[in-house]
Amino acid sequence: MTAQLGEPENIVLQARDVSFDWSGVPLHWIPDDPVATHLINVLHLLLPAGEEWFVKVFKEALPYVKDDRLREDVLGFIGQEAMHAGSHDGVLDHFVEQGLDVRPFVRQVEFVFDGLLGDRNLTGERAQAWLFERVAIIAAIEHFTGVLGDWILNAAALDEAGADPTMMDLLRWHGAEEVEHRHVAHDLYMHLDGSYGKRVRAMTETITMLLALWQRGHRFLMARDPLVKGRIKGGLHHLRRTGPAGLTPPGRLLGPSIMRYLRRSYSPLNEGSTSQALAYLASSPAAQAALR
Amino acid sequence: MTSRSPRWTAGQSAGQIPPDLRGRRSRDPFWVVVGALFNGIQWVRSLRTPVIPYVRPVDRGLTLVVQETRREAADVVGLRLGAPDGGLLPRWQPGCHLDLLLPSGRRRQYSLCGDPADRRSYRIAVRRLPAGGGGSIEVHEDLVEGRTVRVQGPRNAFPFLASESYLFLAGGIGITPILPMVQAAERAGADWRLVYTGRSRETLPFLDELAGLPPGRIVIRTDDEHGVPRSADLLRDAGPGTAVYCCGPAPMIDAVRGAFSAGTLHYERFAPAPIVDGRPFTVELARTGTTIGVAAGQSALEAIKAELPSVAYSCRQGFCGTCRVRVLDGTVDQRAATDQGGDSMLICVSRARGGHLTLDL
Repeated sequence: MTAQLGEPENIVLQARDVSFDWSGVPLHWIPDDPVATHLINVLHLLLPAGEEWFVKVFKEALPYVKDDRLREDVLGFIGQEAMHAGSHDGVLDHFVEQGLDVRPFVRQVEFVFDGLLGDRNLTGERAQAWLFERVAIIAAIEHFTGVLGDWILNAAALDEAGADPTMMDLLRWHGAEEVEHRHVAHDLYMHLDGSYGKRVRAMTETITMLLALWQRGHRFLMARDPLVKGRIKGGLHHLRRTGPAGLTPPGRLLGPSIMRYLRRSYSPLNEGSTSQALAYLASSPAAQAALR
Repeated sequence: MTSRSPRWTAGQSAGQIPPDLRGRRSRDPFWVVVGALFNGIQWVRSLRTPVIPYVRPVDRGLTLVVQETRREAADVVGLRLGAPDGGLLPRWQPGCHLDLLLPSGRRRQYSLCGDPADRRSYRIAVRRLPAGGGGSIEVHEDLVEGRTVRVQGPRNAFPFLASESYLFLAGGIGITPILPMVQAAERAGADWRLVYTGRSRETLPFLDELAGLPPGRIVIRTDDEHGVPRSADLLRDAGPGTAVYCCGPAPMIDAVRGAFSAGTLHYERFAPAPIVDGRPFTVELARTGTTIGVAAGQSALEAIKAELPSVAYSCRQGFCGTCRVRVLDGTVDQRAATDQGGDSMLICVSRARGGHLTLDL
């Protein structure tokens, strides 16, 4: 009989050491489906620069935190995000080795995070206001990473389609940690600022930015793919097939989840399951490989 | 792992409009437009003086009183803590610990080992470690009945999840988080085994409480009777669907982690690995000019944190790279796999080679 237990609460967040061996992972790691493969691959292009930016902004925010427990959560969050950034970076190297040169797009992603969302040479109160604005943007992005993390943990159709186990482990390890720490960015923003208007603005900017990068990233990957050779044009319209098939997050995941985020009573803890995430993390091959 | 190779940026500043994706134009028109729009929004917003919100301090500490102490084994004391007015305490789950803020200023974490259904008291058990940092001795000698102590928590670094079968591995005082798990598994009717190891029976706390559970599920394995256990012996009962929960001395956890092949392994890690062959050194924080001493058994991070509480760190084991700091002067004894050499170090594990370092902090 399975023990019935409540959802674990008050979790201490800790970075986990992981190691991945990409050498055996095929370019189209969802077999015979470059379209779906690249819809997910866009994430690999966004995450290293994006998550390094999270780390940088949250480090800057630390001195403003006046809650010991939240500070511990933020420190755990930073370590986990740093490990994510490094691990996705390994995938990018593997892409380049296989003849898919992703550097032009990564350069554009760096422009978004380090340029548009960078320091802007501000000082004093303006620097602080811009810092909190960026924390609000991270909270909005983290809402989606939590939703996507919950999706990938439950994406049985990818296993059935024969998706590469190493890639699935990277995505699920990452997704599980996103679910595990899904409350931190929102808690930090509510502690530091909490203004509702800023949350709405940050969510609007985040949706626009993510949709534009996802669309452009997919078209870029489909055009550059050395096997597809531009025969299939990329774009988010492919979600109409891959979403219902369970190979990518369905487009309809987005709308209701944004409506939930925009409620004043929004709590990230209602998205996803901590116990499912922790159970995956306790059995992740990459986390166990790093132990040896 | 955090700093990427510079070839990704190809010598350009990240703030410049990037080239287009086909390499035809040096400034992608899409980003020219987006950049102009976004910068425009920020410019309009900058016309107003920013409103800086007041960040309200949050104190989550509790003051508890020692209601009862009890000798649980040769050198283990059990403490029952409650609110001074006998009121309800925050809820907890198996695997949770409390942070005790001892009168000396030491901060120590102890697993809760009582009954989660008891909302009016917490129980912890502390082994006296004469060669430790002094925290356990302080608990043994100063926290007598009637004394008060500041605590933070409960927090959970060892969450207990639903499963059909469990193998619990407890080494000595490592029984403390395991005990409530065993009781929860028994209550839930799960299939469970406990292997409880230690030097001798006299050193093992809570044997009396374990005696109330079905004896066929518990193996007490003491070094004086059975010899030092090998990890393969400990894991013998772990089938494919078994969730393994391990808590004990660091070498025991490391051995079990190393011997574990596939399945679900949960373990508790409270503290970073002990410092091997550490020598004292001094660190100058260049931005303030302060010089602080780092003791032989202390990490640079611990010493710096006492001076700069908002210094960033995370894993404390040298892999995540969060605490990387620029080194302005001195030679680094690099002890982290991800230390990249040159002009930076991970202050959580790396140390000084020549007795002094100047850091960009």
